[in-house]
Amino acid sequence: MARILVVDDDPDLVESVTVSLEKKNHVVIPAYGGIEGLEKAKKEKPDAIILDVMMPDKNGYEVCKELKADQVCQNIPILLLTAVASKISTTTYTHRMGMETEADDYVDKPVEPKELVRLVERLLKK
Amino acid sequence: MNHHEVVHILVVDDEKIIRDGSQRILTKEGWKVETAENGEVGLELIKMGDFQIILLDLMMPGIRGMEVLKKIREEYPKLIVIVITGYATIDNAVEAMKNGAYDFISKPFTPDQLRIVVRRAEDKLKLEHEAELLRRERERSLKDIAYEKTRTFTIINQMADGVLVTDKHGTIVLHNPAATRLFGLGKDPPLGKHIFDWTKSNELTQIVEGVLSMEGANPPQGMTRELSWGSPPNVFFVAHAAPVRNEDGEVLGSVTIFNDVTWFKKLDQMKSDFVEMVSHELRSPLSSIRQSTSLITDRLVGEINEKQQEILSRILDRLDGLLLMINNLLDLSRIEAGGLIQQTEKIFLPEIIQSAVELMTPEAGKKKLHFEVTCDPQLCTIHADRQGMETIFTNLLTNAVKYNQEDGKVIINAQNRGEFVEIKVTDTGVGISKVDLPNIFDKFFRIRTEYTRKVVGSGLGLPLVKAIIEAHLGTITVESEFEKGTTFTILLPRGIS
Repeated sequence: MARILVVDDDPDLVESVTVSLEKKNHVVIPAYGGIEGLEKAKKEKPDAIILDVMMPDKNGYEVCKELKADQVCQNIPILLLTAVASKISTTTYTHRMGMETEADDYVDKPVEPKELVRLVERLLKK
Repeated sequence: MNHHEVVHILVVDDEKIIRDGSQRILTKEGWKVETAENGEVGLELIKMGDFQIILLDLMMPGIRGMEVLKKIREEYPKLIVIVITGYATIDNAVEAMKNGAYDFISKPFTPDQLRIVVRRAEDKLKLEHEAELLRRERERSLKDIAYEKTRTFTIINQMADGVLVTDKHGTIVLHNPAATRLFGLGKDPPLGKHIFDWTKSNELTQIVEGVLSMEGANPPQGMTRELSWGSPPNVFFVAHAAPVRNEDGEVLGSVTIFNDVTWFKKLDQMKSDFVEMVSHELRSPLSSIRQSTSLITDRLVGEINEKQQEILSRILDRLDGLLLMINNLLDLSRIEAGGLIQQTEKIFLPEIIQSAVELMTPEAGKKKLHFEVTCDPQLCTIHADRQGMETIFTNLLTNAVKYNQEDGKVIINAQNRGEFVEIKVTDTGVGISKVDLPNIFDKFFRIRTEYTRKVVGSGLGLPLVKAIIEAHLGTITVESEFEKGTTFTILLPRGIS
């Protein structure tokens, strides 16, 4: 069992991710925007963070960068969730952004709930 | 006077024997001859008639020959006058010549002497006529040239495309208003300036100097390049430069035509932005719907019955189709914006083909399809964008599987072809009819048959494949036999080795 922060401006997505994770007995802390996500990460110190990239108030790359620069939070593994995705050019793009922001893993939307759970659990083991 | 007309001669002499004799002799030669017995009658006849040569006796009663000569010269300067003088009156002859006579003949003369002097006069007539023709011709060509010049000038000045002409040193010798407009240098006269000094464009200078250095027996082909102007670039044009050569093939200068494509660029950018915006806006909610639906089908929110499972699976399939289309649209708009080939690297195609085959194996298993992959062991590596290559083969193999028959085959063959690598992807599927074949690379084109109706597709897979291949300067062609199968042949350049 782990405490996982899910940051996405789309409530439906937070909902579906929550259901998948709770099924595996994880506890989900929802955040519906970049700024809220940043605050909750610092306050709650979750075991892992699922972080959407495209958010209107503060995008996921920035949130990720700030967290990785934060003394308290820098060791929390982060999974970037991108909707920019499409196969050809963006995986390169996402990869590069992942490198720059030091995200621990990234996945393109939409992602199967099972796959998402698998990726998070893989991060938790590290 | 018409060149072919018979020469018309008038003999003016008071001696009948001279008049009649001359008339007889000259008529025999084919000339038309009339006579007058004194100056008055002569002048009268000249007024009425159409003579070219006058034989004029200087010693006549009544009005003197010399007076007649002066009158003729004044009033009919084109007439050729040959004076007839007495043997001892050379002085008269000299005076007559001074007064404009063409020649003289002294009495008594032989028929031969007469013929010779008249023939000489006739030759002069012919020469004058030819000279006149030549003069007119020259005048006409001068007019033509002047006309041609103004016409060319007008054409060049009215052209919407810019024109710059340089000499062999790259100095501008001709330009049109469209060129100065395009460069926004209307106030700065370009004539006499070096192309670089005027445009400050390295790229343009490069291509102009490029064509100027095209020496030798090369065919006079030009160079074409897309250039932008301003910072940030706000004018886009295609420059076609070509050398101007003389007969020996020596380069004398260059002509560059500028095609303004700014408007197309702007439209294209607007279209790409629009497509990208719409795609993103569609993609997020669709992702969300798909993820929520997956929660149900994965039994994460409770049990469902078989019928519900079946319906939800169909929903997921259609959602995947939509998402695929949006992904392809995004990719296409990026390719069209020129951002496809991000980085090229050395690629050994059999590896890419193998992973695409593995990706398709589960799908292929459902239809009991067999893959036959044969690659030349000596196959060259190519320089290409890895993800682009993956997209090509994933798309082609997806089609080869989707549109195949049960127990069918997918055959992939890769060979070296000179500077190219050739890959053939053949399926034993439903094939494409002759009517549909020319359209399969068109965006959103989908073949409508009983069979394809059941297959989810976006109509963007093949356009995407083609765009990627063309961005790599390769080609793709297709052959197909309806209900037998289809073969796609790809040629990709090996690139820098």
